[in-house]
Amino acid sequence: MHTLQVENVSKNYDKFKAVTDVSFSLPEGNMFALLGPNGAGKTTTMRMIMNIILPDSGSIKLFGETFQESHKNRIGYMPEERGLYGKMKVLDQIQFLGEMKGMSPAQAKKTGQEWLEKFGLADRAKKKVHELSKGMQQKVQFIGTVVHSPDLMIIDEPFSGLDPVNTKFMKDVLLDMKRQGTTIILSTHLMDQAEKLSDEICLINKGEILLQGTVNDVKRAHTNNAVTVGYSGDAAFINNYDIVESVNDYGNYMEVRLKDDTSPGKLFKRLAGENIDVHRFEAAEMTLNEIFIQQIGGAEA
Amino acid sequence: MKKTLTIIKREFMTKLFNKGFLISTLLGPIFIMGIYFIPSYFRGQSAEEQLVVQVVDYSQSLGNQLPGMFGDTNADGQARFIVSPLSPASYEADQETFYQAVEENYVDAILVLPADLSSGEMTYISAEGHQSVSSRIFIERVRATINQQRLTNAGLDPGEVSRLTAPLALKAIKLSGGEASADSGTNPVVTIIFLTILYMTILVYGASVMQGVVEEKTSRIMEVLLSSGNSFQLMMGKLFGIGGIGLTQYLIWSAAALIAFQFAGSGDHFMASANVTAGTLFFFILFFLLGYFQFSTLYAAVGAMCTTQEDVQSMSTPVTLFIILPFLITISLEPTSNLAQILSMMPLFAPMQMFLRIEQANPAVWEILLSIGINILAILFFTWIAAKIYRVGSLMYGKRPSLGEVLRWVRY
Repeated sequence: MHTLQVENVSKNYDKFKAVTDVSFSLPEGNMFALLGPNGAGKTTTMRMIMNIILPDSGSIKLFGETFQESHKNRIGYMPEERGLYGKMKVLDQIQFLGEMKGMSPAQAKKTGQEWLEKFGLADRAKKKVHELSKGMQQKVQFIGTVVHSPDLMIIDEPFSGLDPVNTKFMKDVLLDMKRQGTTIILSTHLMDQAEKLSDEICLINKGEILLQGTVNDVKRAHTNNAVTVGYSGDAAFINNYDIVESVNDYGNYMEVRLKDDTSPGKLFKRLAGENIDVHRFEAAEMTLNEIFIQQIGGAEA
Repeated sequence: MKKTLTIIKREFMTKLFNKGFLISTLLGPIFIMGIYFIPSYFRGQSAEEQLVVQVVDYSQSLGNQLPGMFGDTNADGQARFIVSPLSPASYEADQETFYQAVEENYVDAILVLPADLSSGEMTYISAEGHQSVSSRIFIERVRATINQQRLTNAGLDPGEVSRLTAPLALKAIKLSGGEASADSGTNPVVTIIFLTILYMTILVYGASVMQGVVEEKTSRIMEVLLSSGNSFQLMMGKLFGIGGIGLTQYLIWSAAALIAFQFAGSGDHFMASANVTAGTLFFFILFFLLGYFQFSTLYAAVGAMCTTQEDVQSMSTPVTLFIILPFLITISLEPTSNLAQILSMMPLFAPMQMFLRIEQANPAVWEILLSIGINILAILFFTWIAAKIYRVGSLMYGKRPSLGEVLRWVRY
């Protein structure tokens, strides 16, 4: 069964096209990453899934049905702009958010306490939210999103504002939830996180889908003739090679994309004759980050 | 519905345990009672004050008669007036001493009557003026006696004179709902106090709704809430939650007022004349609710249009004006005038104007019901518009929307 089906959805604000003809679907228990630069239409798409704003055309089905207000109780949504009542106490706040998802006060309070313990915040339960550090507020926000055990989680930039320790912690929690059958949508521009976590990705820019599929499929389709070269010396000459499509040069490391009618071997031979010291040559698959920049860059041009 | 209740609960509990609420609720009755008690205390003082007067009668016709005319006693059983004659000879012989007695408050006043009562003037010498209630009563009675004396001097029979000059008794009847009852209308001062509270609470609680909406927008919790409930539930939750707080405050105040009247009402002249009944308090609460819901829906819509506190300042002014204006018009308009009658039917104006008319101008029952009906319709209409604006505005950040844009939101 598909937890979510988005079909040919479009949304315009006056003349600005926020989302154009977007379609994707999520099998139950999937981790899905919505990728794209700022202003690509990710937030609009997520708000449409939540029925916070209505699409101009197209249809969205949640749990196999058209939207009903009761679906909101099965969804946890953490928007990019975090929001909590600053003057409310931590546990009261979580209890309130749980009740807003249809939980009973007692149940929401109990589950909230359990989560606070799991996150090491049990001693902050009676503190007011604005007395906490940003990272802690972020955790409280997360607990508020999951306290009702949603079937579908929608998280905008889950790792923003977190230090490396907490990023790892958050990642583990998400994977844990996924293992227990929760379907998760991540919206992020951090490609390496998306690459490691997600089953499927969908890259959108300027409201349109550029590519989508499983991480492996996407990578396979974009790794032809990509080479990583570790070197020392001046490699500026490589821009003049007729077999090279594009270069991303970091100074002592470069990612080279070759033209379709050539192969890494030809590049290897030519580099051997140049006045640089090659200490690493790898016909590598591209990272999502490279695909991202290549795709978006191509769209810009 | 459950979600609306959850929001109501949050709003209510947050505000209930807020210091501001506790302070205004506790100090409110003290403030109100202060307004009642302070003037009545001072009035009581001047009414109860004993007046000691010495009368110097050059005409030799009244002097001995006067003390007998002031047999009044105060509540404490003491004589209210102590009037003693003073012969002109001893007065002239030692005027300085008598004046000193006045200045040192052994005597409140010296009244000097002229030799010719038909044309001369009488002189009232005192340290504290002649405006206190007791001294005015005293002078009035002396005047009336002199008038009788003149008529008698003109040859009229003294019996006839007193018959002719007897004051006509006043019996006041108040008509209400076809029944006549003794007129003891609510003291206008008290009504103005109630109006002021009505005006201030509608303003404060309406603005509190707006601040709440803006706070939810600036803290960005609005989007989290919208993922749990829809904008209509959020708005209604806020309106009823804060309205509930207002109602709670009114009930506490009303109970305090009723208790205060139970204890203080009977003995005190002013408190008795204040005549605040359960009916007054009922309309007080009813018109607070009617006013609150009209203005708070408008304030909620304004809040949804704002992003920053600067927006709030400029955008809320029109709504605030529509609270101030009816208040100023209501307190300055004669409650029985035609304009007052018309305004007491108008949305936004009615809550204050109709309350005033009920207290001071005895409107017909159908007028009251029609006014309530019109105002309920106005509340529904404002809620409908506000819900539309709220839906679009609650997620709109940045530039202040123009009037055209807002109208488009309403149509959307």
